[in-house]
Formats: sequence, C-alpha cells, structure tokens
Amino acid sequence: MSLEVVTYPFLFLTIFFESFLLVTLLSHPARTSRERVASSKTPKVAVIVPCWNEESTIGGTIESLLALEYPREKLSIILVDDGSTDATYSTMMRYADNAQIKILKKENGGKHTAMNLGIEHAKDAELIGCLDADSFVDPKALREMITCFDEEDVMAAAPSMSVHEPHTLLERMQAVEYQLGNAMRHILSATNSLYVTPGPFSFYRPQVFQNIGPFRHAYLTEDMEMALRMQRAGYRIENAVRARVYTKAPDTLTKLIKQRTRWNTGFLRNVLYDYRDLVGNRKRGALGLIILPFSLISVVFAIGMFGNAIVQFVQNTIHAIATTSGIPIAYLMTPRAINLFYWPYSATALLSGVLIAIVIALIVVGKRLSNTSGTLLTNIVLYVVIYSLVSPLWLIRSVADVARGTANTWR
Amino acid sequence: MSIFTRNILIALGMTILIVATVIYAVGYLDRLRLAEIETIQNTISTETFSLETQFSLLEAAPCDSTASSTTLSSELADLGNRLSFTEDQLGSSDARVIQLKKQYYLLEIRDYLINKKLAAACGTKPVTVLYFYSNKGDCSDCEKAGYALSYLRDTYPKLRVYSFDYYLDLGALKTLIAVDKVKNTLPAFIINGKYSYGFTSLADLEKQFPKGALATSTPSTTVIN
Repeated sequence: MSLEVVTYPFLFLTIFFESFLLVTLLSHPARTSRERVASSKTPKVAVIVPCWNEESTIGGTIESLLALEYPREKLSIILVDDGSTDATYSTMMRYADNAQIKILKKENGGKHTAMNLGIEHAKDAELIGCLDADSFVDPKALREMITCFDEEDVMAAAPSMSVHEPHTLLERMQAVEYQLGNAMRHILSATNSLYVTPGPFSFYRPQVFQNIGPFRHAYLTEDMEMALRMQRAGYRIENAVRARVYTKAPDTLTKLIKQRTRWNTGFLRNVLYDYRDLVGNRKRGALGLIILPFSLISVVFAIGMFGNAIVQFVQNTIHAIATTSGIPIAYLMTPRAINLFYWPYSATALLSGVLIAIVIALIVVGKRLSNTSGTLLTNIVLYVVIYSLVSPLWLIRSVADVARGTANTWR
Repeated sequence: MSIFTRNILIALGMTILIVATVIYAVGYLDRLRLAEIETIQNTISTETFSLETQFSLLEAAPCDSTASSTTLSSELADLGNRLSFTEDQLGSSDARVIQLKKQYYLLEIRDYLINKKLAAACGTKPVTVLYFYSNKGDCSDCEKAGYALSYLRDTYPKLRVYSFDYYLDLGALKTLIAVDKVKNTLPAFIINGKYSYGFTSLADLEKQFPKGALATSTPSTTVIN
C-alpha cells in the first residue's frame, strides 16, 4: 500500500482538527472565558499536597502556597507524606506550627491514596484543590481558579502550567510544549472537552468526590481518570487560563521518556479499557466525537510515520552509499549553491508546513493568554526539531507496554 | 444549530480551502518550474542556432572567429540538472517533462555535432562521452553510472558529456542510435568513438578514457538520469 494512501487522509484530519481548535478559540464560549474578571469571592479552600520523596522541592511548594493572595483563614494546606524515605517529612514538619497547615503521614500507597486521605481531612472546604509537590503557584493563581466556580455548573477547573526555570534543551522544549498545552486546555474547556485535571493546582467541588467517588489508581494517571469520570457523569470542567502554576520538568531524556510513557499508557488504558464508551459518543460532544478519537488515531499515525521515516532513512542511506561508491568523499561533501529552483516542495511538505504554522500560532496564543514570561523563538525551533524526534520514542514504548500488559512505575 | 456543529462546519470549510490552496500552489509552482526550464531552453536554442549560423557564414575559417568549442556547455549542464530534478519531482512519464527532454536532447545533439565540426576544422581533440541510459527500471546500474559521469564532468571540465534516455521517442535520437549502432545493453557509453557497455565502478569507467584525457580546463554539459 502506498504511503500516500494513509498520509493524505491523516493530514486532512489533522488540518481539520487544528482548524476546529482555531475556530473554537475564536468562538463565543472561549472569548467569554478569557474575558472573565477575577472574582472577589473567598470561599473556604483546601489545597492537598501529596508527597513522596520530594525533599528538594516540597519547601518551595509550601512557600508558594503560603504566598497566595488569599485570606489566610480561608485557605488551608494539607500536606500528605505518602511514606517518603527521604527528608520530605522533616521538611514538612518545619511548618508544623503554621495554623494554615495540616500535616499527615501514612504508609506508601500511591498518589491517589494520599489525595483521598487529604480529601477526608478537608471536610469544611467549599473547594478542594491539589498541588504536586514539585510545583509552585503564582500568588494570583488561586483568585483566578476561584473565578471559574462563579458559574454553579462548573464542578472542576484546571490551571495553566509552565515549566519551572527551564535551562536544558529538553526543559526549554517542554516549556514550549506546555504553552501549547495551555492553549489546548483553554480551547478544550470552551467545548467542555478537558479530559485531564492536572495534579498541579486543579480544583474540585467536594460534591464531585461525594457523587462519583474518590481518586483511583487509574494506571498512575489519577488526574486523567478523575476528569474522564467527571465527563462521563456530564460534569463541566473549566480552565483558568491566567492561573499560572510552575512545575519541574524532567531534565534528562530517560526521565522524560519515563514520564511521558506513564502519561500515554495511562491515556491508552483509561480510554481503551475503562472509558471506551466515551469514544464516538455523541452525547459527549467534541470530546466524544473529535478529541478522543483524534488523540487515539494520532498515536497510531505518529508511530507509523516515525517507522516509515526510519525505513526511508535507512533505504536512502544504503542507496546513496551504493550509488556514490568510489566517488571521493571530498566531492560528496562539497556544498552546492542554494537555488530556489531546487526547493523540493510537495503537497505533503506544504500541508505539513500549514500544520506547523498553526501549532506555532497556538503556542503563541498559549503564552499570551497565560501571561507566561520567557523567550519563545529559539525554544519553538527546539520544540519543532527535538519533539518530532523524541516523542515517537515514548509513543512506541507506551503502545508496547499496553500491548504486553506491562505495568508502569512513577519514577 | 449548536456552536459545536457550526464550528465543525467552519473547520471543515477551512480544511477544504487549505487543501485546495495547497494543491493549486503545487500545480502553480510546477508550471513556474517548467516555464523556467523552457525559457533557458529557448535561450540556449537561440544561441546554438546563432553559433551554427556563424559557423556556416565563416565556413572557410571558423577557427579565426569562434572558439574551438561552443561556450554553451555550462548552460546546457545547468539545464540538464534542472530537467533531471524536475523529472524526479514530476515523474518520467509526465507529458511536459517528456516534451522538455526531447527539446533538450535536440540541443545536445546539435551541440555535439557543431563541436564535432569545430574540432575537425580546428584540429582540436575534445573528449566527448555519449551516454545512453534507461529509467524504465531495466537498468540497475544507470543511476550509479550517471552519478559517476556527473563527478567526472565536475572534476574534469574539459569532458563533454551528452546523456540520452535510450527509449525516448525522438526521431533525431533514434537516428543517432542507429547511425552509431548503439546496442540496448545499458548503460552504454561512446567515449571518443570507443564503445563500452555496463558499469562496474568509477575506476573502471575512467580506464575507458584516452590517456591524459581527464585534465581540468573548461566546463561541459550535464548528465540526466
């Protein structure tokens, strides 16, 4: 079968998907959402911080919570040590005298158990939030999050996320990816299609846990499973695009692949095993008809394209070696003059260019809407180049893990 | 109509518009590329005709008024490169490509003949290679041979290489093949009148050249393959 038979339909689908995102970005619900003014209401809020061996970051996480611009008596912080074996607990205990902070310790049972213990201790909270112990909140973030709940049918809200102090190439690449994620969250929330309420600073009404139950193990993606469960129940999940949260991103390729494999296997297992009924479900609107089906197809296609690129590269290399056998290397390496006539344009290349242009536009939108500081241009180049090379690695591993039934670990 | 349905319809319209624009753009760029080749071809054709006319007018003493070989070889080489690239992009069965190839071969044959006349009249000994290939899939070594000849031509500009698609339906080419009695065992080379069939390696091909023939001087034509 010719590759074009698969490539062109997928390019068409992807352009349609990206066009849908752009149209939704400009539509009334998204405009209304980003024009929302920060609420002056101050409901009682509890933020749960589940920790497992986070001695290096937990202090900063707590300090950022204490610096939130919010009445102290209305904000309680619940720190849950999930059986850490490092100095996490002793670092927590330095805040034991703070009236806002409650410290809990339990045997290691997984992040979802730590969250659920925290929820049990947040009885009087009108809103319950969570914050991963490697993340730090902007002082105004809570006000922005609270604003989402001015509308009574909103049951949960997710913030905008950025990479904390990106330095390495991989971190800078992820910094761009996170801005794309911010744009996506903003757009998806306009069609109530969010299927992840991220660990860093998502908020829920307590009724969510009362009605549909606590967090589950969910293949180590409890935040995704909770959002999917809420979607199945018909709940509305909002996004506070100006609520900024900074999180530590993996700084090595090994850690990055591990993290993304966990996310992707979690997505595949949750959607294919436990929430298959949502895929193609007309009642779930954009989530069921567009977002989930496209996300599944794109995994298959990305792996297919990567495999094809590898095969093509090997074939071309072998062919080039055979064709140029005997020709001096110096001649082969001589740079040729650049002439526009030889620009190898094709429908595939131009359509791919359109796709990249839309992605870059969304990245810029994500950065502007979330008011995230930092350089973008060089990081976008890194993103476009590196991401296309490394993302197939975790996609392949995820599919292999799901196919073989391999359990993933957190770190 | 719900906002979701409306957004889907608008997105679908946008997608169709983008794809249609890209398809039109590719066709437009193809036409521009072919037009550029045609322009170069016309220029070379005019200059070749001018040279032929000049040669006829001064038949008695051609060497006094013209160079001992044509000066169009670098343009012809560039044209060959462009045509070869376009053939790769559009395919060898594209009618426009076939038409341009025919015109290019006519230019090559005319250049070959006039240089042959000039060499005879002026007593020079240019090194000329007539190279016959096929891109029907029946010549596994043609690409290697074409690349080797391109290297030789770039390295030894004195070399004049004229390449021909053996099976192209062109009267002048068929006559050239018949007159020179070129067999369809491809790749085929006629190096200064000496026949050679098949390609093994660059080193073996170099051995086919007359001694001292491969030395740098002025550039020559190209290899289409």
